[in-house]
Amino acid sequence: MFVAKQSDHTPAQRAHVRRVLWLMLAYAVILPPLIWLRAHRHVSDPLLLAMAIVASLPVLGIFASWGRYLSDERDEYHQATTLRRIAIATNATMGAAVVWGFLQAFGVMPLVEAYWVPFVWVVIQGAFGCVALFARRDPEE
Amino acid sequence: MQSRLRVLRAERGWSQQDLAQRLEVSRQSVNAIETGKYDPSLPLAFRIAELFERSIEDIFLSPSRHSSKAI
Repeated sequence: MFVAKQSDHTPAQRAHVRRVLWLMLAYAVILPPLIWLRAHRHVSDPLLLAMAIVASLPVLGIFASWGRYLSDERDEYHQATTLRRIAIATNATMGAAVVWGFLQAFGVMPLVEAYWVPFVWVVIQGAFGCVALFARRDPEE
Repeated sequence: MQSRLRVLRAERGWSQQDLAQRLEVSRQSVNAIETGKYDPSLPLAFRIAELFERSIEDIFLSPSRHSSKAI
């Protein structure tokens, strides 16, 4: 089985992965109490607004981390492949969102919450990342 | 774009990692350039040429000339 070595990652990639892991941990810690509060307690509208913003902050942080990574990455090959992956994921996600939006408007498909759009983007990007990881295996070294 | 990078590297007995360290890029970059999957930027192409003390044309094959010869 192919296992990516630690040395295969640039310092910018390692920093990005660290940031994303912390943000995902924050998301996992923040979200359950917010959902519980919404379901079991009467919460005022301003507090609901604040809760929604707090819940979205870790995800916004992940997108900000991508921007930081692209700015920090000194290896032009990795920068180019990441930009390509982001472009593919963005096009695929936006395309899917438009098609789903019309299907929903015509009553063919059920309503899907908007926060699934970035989730789909991350999944598509991750899938292309895995494909790229295996595609660049070099038998020489 | 095809290149003679792998040959030049082998002549010096360097691994891809050795060359990557000298160029201050990742090993994957060297591999992608050698296999023609990635065309380096002009600054990186100059760094490669200076490292091997060759001109850029000695290392990288012009795609237009290469294809016209093939025709």
